[in-house]
Amino acid sequence: MRNVTLTHPIRQLFLVLAGFVAAIVLLESGGLAKWADRLEVGPLRTVAVPVAGAVQKALEPLGLSAIRQDALETLARVGWADDAAQLAAAAGANKAPSAGCGAPTANAAVPGPQSAPASAATAAGILAAAGTPPGLRAALPNPVGADAPLAAQVPRTTALAPLPPVEPGRQRVVALAGDSMMAVGIGATLMRQAAGDKNLRIVKAFRSGTGLARPEVFNWMEEYPAMLGAEKPDVVIVAIGANDGQGFVVDGKVLPYGSDGWRKVYQGRLAAYLAMVGAGGARVVWVGLPPMRVPVYDEKIATINRIAFTVVSQSPRAVWWNPVAYVGDEAGRYREFMTLPNGRSLRIRSADGIHLSDEGAALFTTVLTKWLDPPQTRPAAAAIPVAPEQTAPVAVRPKRRSRRRAKG
Amino acid sequence: MLFPTVEYALFFLAVLAIAWSLYRFPAAHNSFLLLASYVFYGFWNWSYLPLLFGISLFSGLVAQRIQRSENSRVRKTWLIAGAAVCLATLAYYKYTSFLVTTFLAVWGRFAPPPRLAADSPLLPLGISFFVFHAISLLGDCYRKKVKEPVKIGDALLYVAFFPQLIAGPILRASRFLPQLAIRRNPNALRVNRALLLIVGGLFKKVIVSNMLATRLVEPVFAVPQSFAAWDTLLAVYGYAAQIYCDFSGYTDIAIGCALLLGYRFPRNFNAPYTAANPQEFWRRWHISLSTWLRDYLYFPLGGSRKGGLRTYFNLMITMLLGGLWHGAAWTFVAWGGLHGSYLVAHRIWSRIPWRPLVRWRQSSAWKWMARILLFHAVCAGWVFFRSSSFEIAFAVFGRLAIPGAATLATAPILLVLFLGLAGQWTPPRWRNGFEVELARWPALARGAALAAAVAAIEILGPSGVAPFIYFQF
Repeated sequence: MRNVTLTHPIRQLFLVLAGFVAAIVLLESGGLAKWADRLEVGPLRTVAVPVAGAVQKALEPLGLSAIRQDALETLARVGWADDAAQLAAAAGANKAPSAGCGAPTANAAVPGPQSAPASAATAAGILAAAGTPPGLRAALPNPVGADAPLAAQVPRTTALAPLPPVEPGRQRVVALAGDSMMAVGIGATLMRQAAGDKNLRIVKAFRSGTGLARPEVFNWMEEYPAMLGAEKPDVVIVAIGANDGQGFVVDGKVLPYGSDGWRKVYQGRLAAYLAMVGAGGARVVWVGLPPMRVPVYDEKIATINRIAFTVVSQSPRAVWWNPVAYVGDEAGRYREFMTLPNGRSLRIRSADGIHLSDEGAALFTTVLTKWLDPPQTRPAAAAIPVAPEQTAPVAVRPKRRSRRRAKG
Repeated sequence: MLFPTVEYALFFLAVLAIAWSLYRFPAAHNSFLLLASYVFYGFWNWSYLPLLFGISLFSGLVAQRIQRSENSRVRKTWLIAGAAVCLATLAYYKYTSFLVTTFLAVWGRFAPPPRLAADSPLLPLGISFFVFHAISLLGDCYRKKVKEPVKIGDALLYVAFFPQLIAGPILRASRFLPQLAIRRNPNALRVNRALLLIVGGLFKKVIVSNMLATRLVEPVFAVPQSFAAWDTLLAVYGYAAQIYCDFSGYTDIAIGCALLLGYRFPRNFNAPYTAANPQEFWRRWHISLSTWLRDYLYFPLGGSRKGGLRTYFNLMITMLLGGLWHGAAWTFVAWGGLHGSYLVAHRIWSRIPWRPLVRWRQSSAWKWMARILLFHAVCAGWVFFRSSSFEIAFAVFGRLAIPGAATLATAPILLVLFLGLAGQWTPPRWRNGFEVELARWPALARGAALAAAVAAIEILGPSGVAPFIYFQF
């Protein structure tokens, strides 16, 4: 038997790497193009998009990247994939033609957001710009609020009109939708609070690391219906937008974050999303984003809140809920700690200065769960204030607060 | 920059090419690696680069002071002062919130709660690791394990070297600094071993850990009340597999990358769930941390040299602080306390001299039973480790008694769970066999096989990249 040496000269390493690079480019040229397309607007994306695009185009005749797409679809069919839209597509009889780029959320049959002009003011144009699949476009009403003038500020408090009591023998279906602002803190706390309530059924329709600004990265217009499946929510609670403070590209043109063009397109995407989650008559509670720790980021979030409020306030079945009265300080700014009158100290924000901690979220999710399934003793006609009556950093004990409301 | 990303792949290929082009010039080579390490760290948040630089520089200067003095009292003073500054930095960034909320909770029992307007500092990525590296430098110089005078440039690179910077393994200065002093040998690279480590690490992280996290562990630990016994039990086992694959996957990639650059890192995991007693478990789990705690905490406390009760006390203190190192929350302290109590119980049990028990302890039946018992004891600890509060941890334990169907037990989940746990029982000769077999292949074919493996892992893994669990530490 020939002796085998386990150590090699550097030349061998570079030959191995050359083989690796050549093979990975052949196998994953579509994936690399998709990766480049998903990068944040900046110097790396400026270089990566044309290079990866050119490589993909040059290798397209070989048809190798179709292997990847076929593999993804096969995995979805056998239940391996976790992507809701991919699973739904695989479950359907119509197999989408291979896009040759194979991002897990990509669907070649669906025109991308670039397929419609950014400035299109028609409902169809706005829905197309939001990445809405053609089938869904026909089913959705016109996106209300897409072209409304931007609100100067957001209200600190709003009220929720009471829901009718849950009918006996039926459950109220509540969808929790959004990005990590829902997944971390709010969603987990709401689900725990609702876990023992037989009148409520919670449907998870949130995913961290997503948003409305970049449908080419994660297309909520495809994913949300797939996440719901056959469920028809009566109420949708939304918390989304924390990842949206970034520029994007429309029709090959970079729209920097905060520019007028960016605002118009983002507002359209947000309106299309709201129209989708509210379709079928669901009541929508749009939880505003809380104040953030880093000032630059906080400013971005304030703008996103204003856009969301602008759109949501135009919809008769949606309400924009401001959590600042619970988790902000007297001036509505970020704070990390609060102390209850009973002496208990809470850390209401997570360590990243962005998300809410479970205890911080619980300050207002208890109000939401009571609104979703009001105790029968509570007068049905009384509107539930969405903010505590005082806004000082020292919070009111939740139980006492709810008793006070019941009296009022 | 996360390891399993295109960004890291491009970064590493560029670093590899440039570093090897400079191998004839050790000073330029090391300076370049230092620069690359700062780019790697700054990619996440450049505003913490001065902190990383400051801690590295400070530990290098204090290490020089320790080395220069022959007076043991002076050396000890410098060691204590240096370690105190490092630990104070770690405490400030990592434990302020924990200390404040704990203090306020106690205060609130006796007096009206004070109003708190300040926020705790944001946690810099990997601070627990680079502070421990800095302390290791001081400790090894104090013990005269670093023979050559420490150069500031070497100290900076030792603390910041990018493969180990944000999640270990925790290198010993006495083992790493000599590697910086010698010229890289371009003719003796374990290329195949490194590639196998990288591909294996990617498999563990991207497929096993991420799938278990998103489809089994997170749903159950977010709302344990919604799941019954089988799902809960699977999630607990799932977390045991997830954390092992996540962390050992990261360190395998780190070790493989360092090997391609010509550096040797110590092994950090050695099939920990095959251990038959708690002591053996800690010799196999996060070896670089457990030996760090042993050398710099347990031994200075007296180790096992001061009698039985003092040994138990030392074990408990070491494990409680080890728990706190992992996270600033009482659940981590409980996890550490639980492992401390396992170690104490094992010491007492293994010292009972009753002859039939001695024979029973040596039987293979007991060893297998002990493995199963220990695995479940470790899993019980993971429940505290994973839970965001005691309320959730106890809810998880409570749900283990609630009968009900296993709704999350899909075939892919059961398969990756099996791979995550059973993979530790594969004989080491398999890996060596792979390495030997690969060595027979032409270099270009090896590269193509590597690419096919990476592409398969990318396709099989869940979409998106979850951060490594140990990043938060």
